Amino acid sequence: MSTIPIDALVLTGYGLNCDYETAHALSLAGARPHRVHINALIDGEVSLARFQITVFGGGFSWGDDHGAGVVQAVRMKTKIGDQLLAFVARGSLVMGICNGFQVLVNLGLLPGLNGDYSRRCVALTHNDCGNFRDDWVHLAVAAETPCVFTRGLERLELPIRHGEGKFVADRDTLSRIEARGQVVLRYADASGRPAAGAFPANPNGSLNDIAGICDPSGRIFGLMPHPEAFHHWTNHPDWTRLREPLRRAGKTLPAESTPGVRIFENAVGYLRAA
Amino acid sequence: MAHRLEITLKKDLFDPEGEGVRRKAAAYFGLRIDRVRTVQVLTIDAPLTEAQLEHIRTEVFTNPVIQVSSFAPLPEPFDWVVWVGFRPGVRDNPGATAAEAIADSLGVRLPPDAAAYTSRRYCIQAPNLDRADVDRIAGELLANDIIQQWRIFAPGDWDPQRGIGIIIPKVILDHTPTVATVPIDSDAELGAISDSRSLALNPNDIPVIRAYFRDPAVQEARRAVGLDDPTDVELEYISQARSDHCNHNTFRGRFHYRDLATGEAETVDNLFKTCIEAPTLALKARKDWVVSVLWDNAGAGRLDADHYYVITGETHNSPSNMEAYGGAITGIVGVYRDPLGTGKGAKLVMGAYGYCVGPRDYAGDLKPRLHPRRLLDGVIEGVRDGGNKSGIPTPFGQVLFHPGYLGKCLVFVTALGLMPARVAGGPAEEKTTTAGDLVIMCGGRVGKDGIHGVTASSEVFSEHTPAGHVQIGDPYTQKKMHDFLLEARDAGLIRFVTDNGGGGLSSSVGESARYSNGALIDLEKVPLKYAGLDQWEIWVSESQERMTVAVAPEDIEAFMTLSRRHAVESTVIGRYTDTGKLHIRYEGRTCAYVDLSLLESGFPQWAFDAEWQPPEQRGLHEPVLGEPTDYDGLLLALLARPNICAKNWIARQYDHEVQGTSVVKPLIGARRDVPADAAVIRPVLTGSRGLVFTQALIPQYSAIDAYHMTGCTIDEAVRRIVAAGGDPAHIGGVDNFCWPNIQYDAQNNPDGRFKAAQLVRACKALRENCLAYGIPLLSGKDSMYVDGHLPGRFGERHKVSALETLQFSAVSVIDDVTRCVTMDLKTDGDIVYVLGLTRAELGASEYYELFGEIGCRVPEARAEAFLPLYQALARAIAEGLVASAHCVYRGGLGIHLPLTAIGGRLGMTVDLDRVPAEGPLRPDHLLFSESAGRLIVSVDPARRSAFEKLCAGLPVAAVGTVTADPVLKIRAIGREVVRLPVERLVEAWKKPFGDLI
Repeated sequence: MSTIPIDALVLTGYGLNCDYETAHALSLAGARPHRVHINALIDGEVSLARFQITVFGGGFSWGDDHGAGVVQAVRMKTKIGDQLLAFVARGSLVMGICNGFQVLVNLGLLPGLNGDYSRRCVALTHNDCGNFRDDWVHLAVAAETPCVFTRGLERLELPIRHGEGKFVADRDTLSRIEARGQVVLRYADASGRPAAGAFPANPNGSLNDIAGICDPSGRIFGLMPHPEAFHHWTNHPDWTRLREPLRRAGKTLPAESTPGVRIFENAVGYLRAA
Repeated sequence: MAHRLEITLKKDLFDPEGEGVRRKAAAYFGLRIDRVRTVQVLTIDAPLTEAQLEHIRTEVFTNPVIQVSSFAPLPEPFDWVVWVGFRPGVRDNPGATAAEAIADSLGVRLPPDAAAYTSRRYCIQAPNLDRADVDRIAGELLANDIIQQWRIFAPGDWDPQRGIGIIIPKVILDHTPTVATVPIDSDAELGAISDSRSLALNPNDIPVIRAYFRDPAVQEARRAVGLDDPTDVELEYISQARSDHCNHNTFRGRFHYRDLATGEAETVDNLFKTCIEAPTLALKARKDWVVSVLWDNAGAGRLDADHYYVITGETHNSPSNMEAYGGAITGIVGVYRDPLGTGKGAKLVMGAYGYCVGPRDYAGDLKPRLHPRRLLDGVIEGVRDGGNKSGIPTPFGQVLFHPGYLGKCLVFVTALGLMPARVAGGPAEEKTTTAGDLVIMCGGRVGKDGIHGVTASSEVFSEHTPAGHVQIGDPYTQKKMHDFLLEARDAGLIRFVTDNGGGGLSSSVGESARYSNGALIDLEKVPLKYAGLDQWEIWVSESQERMTVAVAPEDIEAFMTLSRRHAVESTVIGRYTDTGKLHIRYEGRTCAYVDLSLLESGFPQWAFDAEWQPPEQRGLHEPVLGEPTDYDGLLLALLARPNICAKNWIARQYDHEVQGTSVVKPLIGARRDVPADAAVIRPVLTGSRGLVFTQALIPQYSAIDAYHMTGCTIDEAVRRIVAAGGDPAHIGGVDNFCWPNIQYDAQNNPDGRFKAAQLVRACKALRENCLAYGIPLLSGKDSMYVDGHLPGRFGERHKVSALETLQFSAVSVIDDVTRCVTMDLKTDGDIVYVLGLTRAELGASEYYELFGEIGCRVPEARAEAFLPLYQALARAIAEGLVASAHCVYRGGLGIHLPLTAIGGRLGMTVDLDRVPAEGPLRPDHLLFSESAGRLIVSVDPARRSAFEKLCAGLPVAAVGTVTADPVLKIRAIGREVVRLPVERLVEAWKKPFGDLI
């Protein structure tokens, strides 16, 4: 394993709120996280150029009052849109989690069809269930996808915590992103079969159970579930039930990385290999 | 020039909000609606060009994938249109962010009087509804007239060009700020002025106030600054500082307590000092983990060598009772400022809630302002938005239904924070102001919010009159301020910080100035939401999301730079001095000049008569109730009772995992649907230590004796902590009393003396149990007027008083979170133990309540007897011997054995004859007694002997076995009395609220 430092930027400010645990998960994955205020990027005190990963994290940017992630996307596009495009163009990684995913689709960085990284063509809107919801979901990872963040993962469980996570796109866009393996994660049942729209396995009514997508290069990844909230085995809702048989066999909780951290490790591993 | 943008979802997309309205109209009022579509309306009062308008329409406010929009009314089909918008002066959070987004995307600065206002237009398709039906939907579902206005249109009223018209709820006061002076020639005169201006001065305080202002030395000093008689600013300041809310006059009162049964009498001087402060200080001396108590906005305990946790609790009852959403969101966002204002500032790490409301299906004759169902919906949503948008997890909470809360609901909100032990080289928990430090107001602006109703009653209501007495919290503005202040703290820029809550600047500056011994404030510097506020209004306004900070002059530049970086408004409004005076000016002229020492100068203590009659004397006795024969049916009926059944729809709306600290979640078990005994978080992500948090609330026992209510409530909290793995030697408490009025009045409060006696008894039990369990009270609060006067069927008014209620919060630590235990059964073959004695204590139980009985023998807490059991269990958990642990509380074993089975989706066989009990008890008494001090524990058979060794000599017995076959089987006196599949238990338990999301 190489020890090249990987610098990761985690956005903060204006109502974003998952910055500490996202930074923690990145550091468990071997990156050097930096929590940076959106305004520090805008006023130029901090430049995107020194980072290899940018994470648009969870939260309620600008209160999410006018469509989740919309106002943040407008501000960033207006002020540092070019910098963002340059960041992507030089092969860096971008991850959008929950509110960050909403920002990425509003910026147009996702799905990034035909090399166009500024057009809005998919949306994340109000959950069909009519409410904010916090629950753990089962996710199935696409067998063939360019996504660099999910390598080696087939199925995982993560928490969702959102009121606006229903993925919507027109039929044409949908079939194009599905054809290219850009649909990375789908809500599934416990056995890994797609949820087929059934609540609560599919918690928001997302079309085709879509929980996360990437751009055609696989280097921009957005997802509604929160991998950073599963950085420790005790984050899992069943951990006391998983512990019991281990304990009786004289074992402790697993030492290996949680599936949540493995997503960040994949990002770091990709950059080290690049 | 104003513009109105309408936005709606594309035709083929499902509208969840509209569907919610349709469903509720059917469920709540039996009104059939075919379809509801919502149109968001944004009214922009700003000089924008057509090109600019089109730009913001397409780039900001319309998502091309899902929405359509237009500056002309959208042609949505309808039978009825209901438009709902805010009244002037009500906080419109989305309106504020819309204005921010407009300026941002256009790259312009909007003029100061420009604004954006949001509203909604509901297009209802329901050919059979008449106008009265629609008015009901508008007034009882879509809007609350305190904060909102609405208009109803039938197709015949609708002009498709004009639509709803242009409605701008802008506050225009047209008033020149004026300082008034108040003559003080006699007590009667000052009293009359206090009444007419709603100053709420206590009649007993009036002579002290007059004596001060008539003191020749005071008068001479006042003349030197151009003052004579007291000003309204000064009297408002004194009134705020002396209010029960700020000064806790009730708890600091003198109680003349008599036991009418024994004739014994005693005088209790100051419940706060004797029952809260004294035991807490005694415990602080013994427990080195207690860091800071009894003086700051929240108390602090040690998590680990480098981190302290802070905790406090609040209620927001009256505002929530008027406007449930606004009251609750203001409550939760408000309590979050307390940890932020503790020491030099703590990061918020957790919140919790407790709601006490009338029966959700209430169909009686009384007419509360808001039906309990609607009130509960609003309160739940308020705490949801307040907590979720603050990025603070809400992993614990409780709901309790009782008709006593029809008069006034209770909304408890609790906050926990985390601070580094040291900040910029000094102790983080300490803070002080020094003469020369600058007084800075951060965060929101000041309007006529939360001012004591004067405005509403003394002004003619017009379309531009602010409806400010009920507020709506703004978590977005506060989150920005939170992030900013923590960075400022870590940079060593903060000398003192406190929040602006009740009393506004009057409290925050008044209290912080006591450290330096003075302050000089220039009121015209305070940023306002709109012009025209009187000086006293600026001074006492309770506008939210504000903190007062002391910053040294040499740090001010760095502080302001950081404030701008975080887009937070901060303003220097004066400086701290050491003159002994609170000196307030407005445009250079003095409008207040008061000695800070006035507040310590001999104001008379409040006094109460308290008369206790034991329950037997009040005619309470055990009901004559024979043993039931259908135990299966009885158990299922109890599981479906509102205070027992699943309320999972609430916990799922609350983000309980943000910050990545979650260890034990609110809903746990094999299907993640059973409430945990306590929440556990690991607030320092690089560490292994956890904070264990829980709450207890059993006001039903007050119907018999608030002494035992208090004891049992504290005991339940302790047990919950221990069951989760918390350290019984480290438990901090927060007492939150909500009591009906205790001041006797022959007409209006004839049982006031009894309620006062209940308070005295509750406080004694608080003291005794805190000492016995070793619980310092890290924080606490009281709300003393939980009564309402409700109109009845014939226009008569009924006084409805709440049960005497104590919510007790407990916090503990666990060294290693991987040792936490949850309540769900884990493995078939495990042995089921009951810990603790069951007694014939069914008074005020859920079982009796089912039959409309109260009984007499209420459960009693016996801390000295219980504690060894809890210590043994704590050791067993620490040694990894326990597979599950659960407390037995409301409902008794008959409810809590099934809940552990539901948690594990496993079966269980139990023999009631083996349950440790005092005396021979009937099976129904064994099942439904609510004796305190009991737990249900399951243990791997391989660990049986180790576990039993730890419990030697204690009332602990193996009563059954966990089975893979998911059936609950209970035997008693040699026969099977219960045989129920776990799925039937689940079905009954989820039936009442299972459909709610």
